[in-house]
Amino acid sequence: MSDTRWFAVQTDAERTTLRLAGAWRLQHLAEIEAALAGLRLPTPVAVDGSALTSIDSAAALVLLRALQGTQSAEDSAAWLGFSAANGRIVEKVRAHLGATSAAGPPRRPGALAVLGRKASALADLLGGHLNFFGATLAAFGDALIQPRRLRLRELTVQLDQTGLTAIPVVALVTMLIGIVITYLLGLQAEKYGANIFVVDGVGIGATREFAPIIVAVIVAGRSGAAFTAQLGSMRLTEETDAIRTLGLSPMQVLVVPRVLALMIVLPLLVFVGDVMSLVGAMAIAGPMLDVTPSAFMARLHEALPVRHVFVGLAKAPVFALVIAVIGARMGMTVGRDTRALGIATTSTVVQSIVAVILLDAVFAVLMQALDI
Amino acid sequence: MKTENAPVIEVEAIVSRFGAQTVHDGVSFTVERGTLVGLIGGSGTGKSVLLREIIGLQRPTAGRVRLFGTDMWHAPANELDAVRRRFGMLFQDGALFSSLTVAQNVAVPLREHTHLSSATVDALVALRLQQAGLPADAGAKMPSELSGGMRKRAAIARAIALEPEVLFLDEPTSGLDPITARGFDRLVRSLVDDLGLTVFLVTHDLDTLLGVVDRLLVLARGRVLADGTVKEVMAVDDAWIREYFSVRRIDSDGS
Repeated sequence: MSDTRWFAVQTDAERTTLRLAGAWRLQHLAEIEAALAGLRLPTPVAVDGSALTSIDSAAALVLLRALQGTQSAEDSAAWLGFSAANGRIVEKVRAHLGATSAAGPPRRPGALAVLGRKASALADLLGGHLNFFGATLAAFGDALIQPRRLRLRELTVQLDQTGLTAIPVVALVTMLIGIVITYLLGLQAEKYGANIFVVDGVGIGATREFAPIIVAVIVAGRSGAAFTAQLGSMRLTEETDAIRTLGLSPMQVLVVPRVLALMIVLPLLVFVGDVMSLVGAMAIAGPMLDVTPSAFMARLHEALPVRHVFVGLAKAPVFALVIAVIGARMGMTVGRDTRALGIATTSTVVQSIVAVILLDAVFAVLMQALDI
Repeated sequence: MKTENAPVIEVEAIVSRFGAQTVHDGVSFTVERGTLVGLIGGSGTGKSVLLREIIGLQRPTAGRVRLFGTDMWHAPANELDAVRRRFGMLFQDGALFSSLTVAQNVAVPLREHTHLSSATVDALVALRLQQAGLPADAGAKMPSELSGGMRKRAAIARAIALEPEVLFLDEPTSGLDPITARGFDRLVRSLVDDLGLTVFLVTHDLDTLLGVVDRLLVLARGRVLADGTVKEVMAVDDAWIREYFSVRRIDSDGS
C-alpha cells in the first residue's frame, strides 16, 4: 500500500519490516520526506537496509525523525542488513539525535522590550558621544599647552581631503540651489511685478540658511562617513592599537587633526557656497526676470546686510565640530568586524545630518531671540 | 555518477602564468575517492592558486582540471552547477556571511538547493553543527561573536551542508592554537572516515600532515616534486623537503 521506490513495508506474523532501497541521498530527500510523511507504522518495526545502495547523513536524519517514537529508533538490533559504511552513518546520526534535546526556537522579544532596548541604546549612543566630545576637548587642551603635539602633516592632509577636493561638488550643488530658489521665487514675484525683490529673498535665504545647511549635509556625507570608514578600518587592522602601544595617543594623532581640519574648512566651503548660489541666482535672474547682473549686484548691496552672511558662516564651525566628532567617534568605537563598520558608516551620515538640521533650528530660534 | 572507483579529482598538465612569471609548469595528479590529501609548498608556489583553479574560480593558462569526470573549464554551465553541489570549499577565514547567524549561514545552501520542509532544514542544520563539533547554542550566534576556531567549524558546517563528496580546505588550521588545531584535524579525519568524504587540503601545519593525511603532494618549482605517504615524501632527497621536515627529524632523533 505505502510502497514507493524508496522503501517497501512488509508485515508478517512477528513484526513489520521497512525495506529501504535505492540511494538515499540529499538530492532526492524532498521526495523521500514526502513519501515518509504518508507512512504509518505499527510497532515493533525492523528496518532492513540490505537493498540500500547508499545513505547520507541528511537522509539518515530524515529517516530517524520519521521513525521517532517507534521503538526501532532507539533499538539498534532492529536495524538489519546495513553495509558497514551505511550503518556507521546511521549510528552517528542516531547518537546526535540522542544527545540533543529539541531546543525550542528563541523567544521573540515583545514590542515593549524592543522599545526599551532601542531607548537605552539611544541613551548609550548619546552618552558615548558626550564622553567622546569631552575627550576631544581634552586632547585639544593638550595640543594648546604643547603645540608641538599637533600633527601638522596630518592636518594638511585632512585640509586637502575634506576641503580642496570638496570644492567642485559644493560649488555645483549650491549653484543649482541658487538657480532653483531664484526660479521659484521669481515665478511668484513676477505676478506682482516685484522682480527685483527676488534678490532680497535669494540673498538672505542662500547666505543665512541654504548654503550652510546644504554644504554641511554634503560634508557630512563626504567627510563624516570617510572619518568613520578610515578610523574604523584602522581599528579593524589594529592600527589604532599600534599607535597606542607606540606611546602615542590616537586622539592626538587621528582625531584632533580631523576635527580641527573640518572646523577650518567648513566655513570656507560655506563661503564658496554663498558665492556660487548667488552666481547661480544672478545667472537665471537675467533671462527670466530681466534683472541685469549690474542691477542684481546693486540691489544685493542694498538688501543684504552683511550680518546675514556672518550668521551663516558662524554656524559652519559648529556644524563641523558635530559632524567630525560623530564621524570620529563612530569610527573609533566600531565593533571589530566588517559588517559593524558598514553599519557605523551609514549611521554616521544619518546622525550627522539630523544633528546639523536640529542645530540649525536651535540657531534660528536663538538668533530670533537675540534679534540678530 | 560514473564508476565509483574513478578518481574524483584529475589535474592534467596545469600551467599558470601571471605576466612573465610562471607559477605552475605542468602540474599533474589525481585524487581517489575517500582519501585525505594534503598539498604543501613554499610561499609563492601557487598552492592557493591551484586550489582556485581546481574548483573553477580561476582559469589556468593551460591544462585540464576534471572533478567527478567533468572538465571544469569546458563543461556547460548547468553541468558545472551540478558539480558545484558535489563539493564544498572552506575559505581561509571561513567567509561566513556576516549578516546572518551561524544557523542561517548553514541553512543557506539547504534552502537554496533543496525543497525540504523548514523543520527538516532546522534539524539538518543542528546535525551539521554537531558534525562540525559546535555546541548547539552556537547556531544562534553571529559570526562576529565566534572565536577563530569556532568560525572555521561553522564554515565547515556550511561547506558540508549539502553532503558534498569532496571537501577543499585552504589552510584550515592557520591562526588556531595547537589544541584547537588538533581538534580540527580530528574533525577532518572523521569526515573522511565516517561520512566517506574526499578531502583535499592546503596546509603549512606539519602536525596536520603527520597526524591525519593519507597522502602528501609537494609543490615546488612549478611542478609536483613529491607524491606519496608522508614517510615516502620525507625520504625524498630534495633540499627544500629536507629543510621542511628538518624540525621533526631532530625531534624523532632525540626521542
